[in-house]
Amino acid sequence: MKLTMRGVTKSFGANKVLRGVDFSLSGGDICALLGENGAGKSTLMNILGGVLQMDAGEVLIDGEPVSFAGPKESLAAGIAFIHQELNLINDLTVYENLFLGRELRTRAGTLDIPRMRAESRRMLEGMRIDLDVNAMVRGLDASYKQIIEIARAMMASASIIIMDEPTSSLTDPEIERVFAMMRTLRGQGVGLVFISHKLREVTRIADRYAVLRDGEMVAQGDTSDADASTLARFMVGHDVRTEALSRDRKASKSVLRAERLTGRSFRDVSFDIQAGEILGVTGLLGDGRSELFLSIFGAGEPYTGNMYLDGKPFRLRDTTEAIDYGIAYLPRNRKENGIIKDMDALENGSIVVWPRISAFGFIDRRRQRELFDERTRGLRIKLTKPTDMITSLSGGNQQKVVLAKWLSSEPRALILDNPTQGVDVGAKEEIYDIILELARQGAAIALLSSEAQEIIRVCGRALVMYHGTVAGEVQGGAMREREIMRLATGAGI
Amino acid sequence: MIGWFKRRWSGSPLFSTGAALIVMIILQTLALGFDFSSFGDWLGRWAMNWLNILRNNAGIGIIALGMTFVIISGGIDLAVGSTLVAVGALVMALIDTGPRGVLLNMGITGVPAYAIGIIAGIAAGGALGEATGLLVTKGKLPPFIATLGTMKICRSVTQHFTQGYTPAVPKPFLQIASFKIGGLLIMPVLYWIALAAVFYVISKRTTFGRHVIAVGSNERAARLSGVNVQRVKRMVYMLIGVMAAASAILQVSRIGSMDYANAGSGNEMDAISAVIVGGTSMSGGRGFVLGTVLGTLIIAVMNNLLNLLGVPPFLREAFKGVIVIGAVLLQKREATS
Repeated sequence: MKLTMRGVTKSFGANKVLRGVDFSLSGGDICALLGENGAGKSTLMNILGGVLQMDAGEVLIDGEPVSFAGPKESLAAGIAFIHQELNLINDLTVYENLFLGRELRTRAGTLDIPRMRAESRRMLEGMRIDLDVNAMVRGLDASYKQIIEIARAMMASASIIIMDEPTSSLTDPEIERVFAMMRTLRGQGVGLVFISHKLREVTRIADRYAVLRDGEMVAQGDTSDADASTLARFMVGHDVRTEALSRDRKASKSVLRAERLTGRSFRDVSFDIQAGEILGVTGLLGDGRSELFLSIFGAGEPYTGNMYLDGKPFRLRDTTEAIDYGIAYLPRNRKENGIIKDMDALENGSIVVWPRISAFGFIDRRRQRELFDERTRGLRIKLTKPTDMITSLSGGNQQKVVLAKWLSSEPRALILDNPTQGVDVGAKEEIYDIILELARQGAAIALLSSEAQEIIRVCGRALVMYHGTVAGEVQGGAMREREIMRLATGAGI
Repeated sequence: MIGWFKRRWSGSPLFSTGAALIVMIILQTLALGFDFSSFGDWLGRWAMNWLNILRNNAGIGIIALGMTFVIISGGIDLAVGSTLVAVGALVMALIDTGPRGVLLNMGITGVPAYAIGIIAGIAAGGALGEATGLLVTKGKLPPFIATLGTMKICRSVTQHFTQGYTPAVPKPFLQIASFKIGGLLIMPVLYWIALAAVFYVISKRTTFGRHVIAVGSNERAARLSGVNVQRVKRMVYMLIGVMAAASAILQVSRIGSMDYANAGSGNEMDAISAVIVGGTSMSGGRGFVLGTVLGTLIIAVMNNLLNLLGVPPFLREAFKGVIVIGAVLLQKREATS
């Protein structure tokens, strides 16, 4: 089977996500699809999987043009898409999951359990997987879950399987198991698309690569001709000269220091943020940076190692203590973690200071209003009135309100996780200004971001994380996208 | 007129509840009839009927106040009826003037005994609530399951230890509920109003009250804003325990006895109904103390109306069901419109 995509174009509103992309794949090949966040990988594969419709272009299977109105049609044509969030029912057994939605029945209309078990066994044996078909899926490790998804695709007689970041939540031995499985399928003539950020893995498992950048296919070839550094360069393209906003600072005293922090999602991380410094922390999906700082903030997994604030050791047991220590935290995913949709802007922007401005439990409403007005001016939050519901504000203004609640507590150290996520360009610049101003006033800031551009612009130096460890630190002239990408993809290790 | 009505209808969540209550009151007034000798006579009857409604529902109304906070926080409490019975039994055992009276045998009688009885009752209610809170927070049990368990435990233990025991409640204790003002038996209503005012102020003006809303609306965001989510949840269950205890003391002082098998049973569902009819969202984060008071009244007035119309008692519960379902359907439409 040979798949060809030609001139695929797709826009979302004014945003051109794919600009005439060509892509092809033959049976028996593993092709890695590479690209930064927002390069168009998912869009391209969603078109192939029937989830999205393209604006222009064509898809050919063995030279025959096809079009998919939905995932079912795509699957019927032999293309299976395994999404990053697996679609398995944890409380059913392996064989029940394999036959979910297409259960075999006896003539009497009851489930034909013996036949389903037998066919499941046959399928897994064919894939050389030793797995009890009666096992509950919940108890299986992540690699087997991935394998069951693949087996399900195979039972639907898929000849092309798209795997979206299949290794992002797997440990090394689990990754090996999935790779072995992928090689077996390749031997059986199945074509695989492997979407990944981890270039070291890509060079090991894939036969070919295809790199998307800003909606265009910028490079394709055999992985035997390219090493990880070359691929990282393709992903980033030419280094964009970015004007760094942060000035060189003279060394001052340490505010937030971490010593060999180790938890479930991060290993042996140390750093030291000084007063007035903005430390960038970046990496790709599954790098563990959010988990790390959530733990430091007292809301994540337990860790070993030591944290110091102004030289004194501390460990937060819950987030309430963070206020007293003067540590602020702006979470990622504003909608889920940041805003409280049943409260107005004023309350969303004041919740952190309530304990501080109340007497006998009663909130001093005048003081609340004063503090909020002060922040609204300082952060240039656009509101008709403070009692507007938070959900009626634009993304950028919502984010500023979330920031405002912490600023009113006058924190010593701020942890900002993806602070410009989902805000427009203008608001983005304003948020950068706010962050820089806070640093000027002497706060120690950790800026977590997946955008290398943002890190380069705002931070004086940055840690690049890979799979839970610090892959390297960049500063000065080394703060370039290419170097960051090289470290973040594990190519530097 | 209709336009204005509609604008207000979609504008304020309490408006629709209030409007529903007014419709109920009009129907009830019509059902009461005008067949009286004079206007004064009619007004007297009407007012007495109302006083009865309020007095009979003060107990549920007080529990529903606590239930409002629990539901806003995203939880539920099924154990209020059993807490009521347990506290009632405890208080009566303490103040009993019969041979088994605990305080009497310790030589404490009169007002000190009543004070100890009330304080112990409130404390016991709070402690039972706190136990539920710990099961929900530390034990990470779903509130439905935690309180289903404590509901069974409280009633069963109470019934076991009160077998064949009929305490005598001293006459002065009855004054708590039966003290007359201007010849009217109005004390339970006053307690209800006072507690409703307290709950209203807590929910609007205090850190705790606003934290309850934050936790119910987005627990994760609340936690990441430094809210002690576990403490808020424990407080909420403790408060409803105290409200159940208050309701128990009220009942003991009104009736002077308690049927341990049946007292308070069904209170949890009545309280939940009142809260829901009052516009509080079952999924948490959105709720109104005043709405709960209106919701309690809607159900109460409807009961009274059915009574006046001579609807057989067994059928009345069905109307309650219709009201709850109808209220939530209406609120859903308002939310999407």
